[in-house]
Amino acid sequence: MMFQALPQEIQDLLAVLEYWDEILEGFIMMIWLYVWALMIGFFLGLFLAILRQYGGAIISRIATGYIEIVRGTPLLAQILLLYFLPYSLNIPIERWAFYTNFRISDREMTFILLNPEILVGILALGLNSAAYQAEYLRGAITSVGTEQLVAAQSLGMSRRVGIVHIVLPQALRRVIPAWSNEAAYLPKYTIVVWYIGVPELFGKAHYLVFKEFIPEATFIIIAIIFLVLISTVSKVLDVIHKRTAIPGL
Amino acid sequence: MVWVNSIPKPPNLAEIGFYIFVKGLPRTLILTVLGLLGGFVIGLSLAIMRVYGGKELNWLASGYEKLFRGIPILVLIFVFAIYLTNLYEICIGDTCFGIEPQYRPLFGVFLALALRSGAYQSQIFRGALLSVNPGQEEAARALGMSRFQALRTILLPQALRLAVPSWSNEYAVVIKDSSFALTVGIVEMTNAALQISSNFVELWAVSIGVVAILYFLLTYPITRLFGERQTKKLKELGMGGG
Amino acid sequence: MGKPVLRIVDVWKSYGELEVLKGVSFELMEQEVKVIFGPSGSGKSTLLRCINMLDPPDQGEVYLSEQNLMEPGINLNIMRANIGMVFQHFNLFAHLRAINNVSIGLRRVKGVSKEEARSKALKALNQVKMAEWADHYPAQLSGGQQQRIGIARALVMEPDVILFDEPTSALDPELIGEVLQVMLELAKTGTTMIVVTHEMGFAGAVASEMLFLGNGVIIERGTPQHFFASPKSDRVKTFLKQLDILYGSHKGLLKLSKEEEDK
Repeated sequence: MMFQALPQEIQDLLAVLEYWDEILEGFIMMIWLYVWALMIGFFLGLFLAILRQYGGAIISRIATGYIEIVRGTPLLAQILLLYFLPYSLNIPIERWAFYTNFRISDREMTFILLNPEILVGILALGLNSAAYQAEYLRGAITSVGTEQLVAAQSLGMSRRVGIVHIVLPQALRRVIPAWSNEAAYLPKYTIVVWYIGVPELFGKAHYLVFKEFIPEATFIIIAIIFLVLISTVSKVLDVIHKRTAIPGL
Repeated sequence: MVWVNSIPKPPNLAEIGFYIFVKGLPRTLILTVLGLLGGFVIGLSLAIMRVYGGKELNWLASGYEKLFRGIPILVLIFVFAIYLTNLYEICIGDTCFGIEPQYRPLFGVFLALALRSGAYQSQIFRGALLSVNPGQEEAARALGMSRFQALRTILLPQALRLAVPSWSNEYAVVIKDSSFALTVGIVEMTNAALQISSNFVELWAVSIGVVAILYFLLTYPITRLFGERQTKKLKELGMGGG
Repeated sequence: MGKPVLRIVDVWKSYGELEVLKGVSFELMEQEVKVIFGPSGSGKSTLLRCINMLDPPDQGEVYLSEQNLMEPGINLNIMRANIGMVFQHFNLFAHLRAINNVSIGLRRVKGVSKEEARSKALKALNQVKMAEWADHYPAQLSGGQQQRIGIARALVMEPDVILFDEPTSALDPELIGEVLQVMLELAKTGTTMIVVTHEMGFAGAVASEMLFLGNGVIIERGTPQHFFASPKSDRVKTFLKQLDILYGSHKGLLKLSKEEEDK
């Protein structure tokens, strides 16, 4: 073999990279889950933050309860709970899947867009992220201060208009640094879908370890992928933060 | 075979809760406490390196932070509790000493939790050190204290108090992350919950629900007590934000 | 003078145990400038917030052009659009440029078109001599400049009355003048105003009546001349003496205000 002159470590890495199609499939799955979870988490989180901040005593309590319970329990327990629920309630689970095939160079790849497990994964990650994002958003809303809303109302704006046009535009700018943390580190947590059998990057890693048994090289590659992804997302969000900053503030 | 006899009757809620507590709580608590303490030592050292160290130390510490914040805890647990376990024994000639084989997974999970938590706690302590009013150090130096004395007697005592609210959050993170220990066969709370209901499909969700409630009871009161109360207390003392 | 723009009848307000307003009544005529002063904690700011219902009174009535604001079911947003407010800490919308700070009320509340709102806002900025700063964000401006934009923001809505809540007390001394100048001009062009302030020079120059508020009630009321020459109650005397120590004698101010009147 032409690799034989290379040190063993490099040979191991190359042997793992031979399976780049598997790794790519896992990576795309991770990104797919990540994007959905981040979006669901953002919109639901914004909704929760507004309810907690501006809802009446009861609505605010309900939103707070949701946020605290989700933040107080492990994601692993949440995803297992969602996954087990239909079994425990004796709801028959039908097997279904939407998938797409594509080809890169000589490799045939299949990408499952949605099946029951992926749906549970997306829901669990989204519902979980919502609670964390809600807290970041609420912090930002609080930091805008009540006086901005008072000033809006003194001009004759309703509370709703004041919240939408005065408070939220400022809060959404202010939330970016804290929110970046959640956005940058969420890919890490997509890993839990491995427990319910979604073929995500970590699941693929196990498959490769099982096949070739070069765990060190496999996990080094997985770790590098995570590090690169997370630092890229951080950088992008940092640029967005600087672009949207309010001059002079 | 005896399998007919081995089908037990389904456990009730109290039994589920009791089993999780008796079988699972000790490991969960051991991992959490040790993980937090290990993370504390690592985190505080890194934070001091970042704030007071030179360029190289700062670079080293922030590299560590990036590395261990970026790698999922599950990957760390696999690496430290399964693949690197043979490193936990050092042999010189014929005499070997190290961690007994049956405790290696537990030790590996502890390492994974501590190393990861150290990266986060470093950020917490760094933020706290930076938010101690700069006038405090000036005043200490003006009294003739050395930099180290000022750090030890004036800045750290204040920074550690300022860090309490974030630190209580980190406690919640570590106790929740310790649930991943089930992956390497450690019977902590989540694993205990899966065990007790493993024969009864209808109880899977119930026992996971019970364990979730137990986690909530272990985290919420503490984060609330040390989070909001401490924040209020610090405000009354006029500390931080200077 | 014309009809009363604002009529406050026996307004009471408390926060929990603390009674802040204990029955305050007065009328404000069109084109009148009323100055409210008194020690801190006497309820001045609360009174203003009761007038525009940002903090509705517990008891009493507030009439704006004979419309009772305490009536249930009334659309307070529409009423508030007719009561301008200038804040102690400016409260400019941090994410909007000066021009948009001024025009947003027209756009979102009155539904004025973008172009028209812009030209009206520019006019208002001109009035407070801030037109050339139209494209700056609040955080890029000095306190005095921010406050003038705050005034323009209230002015542009063409309200029946503008409430000023200690508009200069958060400003550095050298910036107070530019804001007072703008307010003086507004007063002279017939803007109806209620001003909470300790700037006795301003009060002496333009106030048609001054109210001394203490412990939630109006302790004494009268013209600037009355207050500067012969205040009746001891509390007012003590308070004015304290202002003297802080800001210099008001005797000079009285002279100034008399000269103004003679002109």
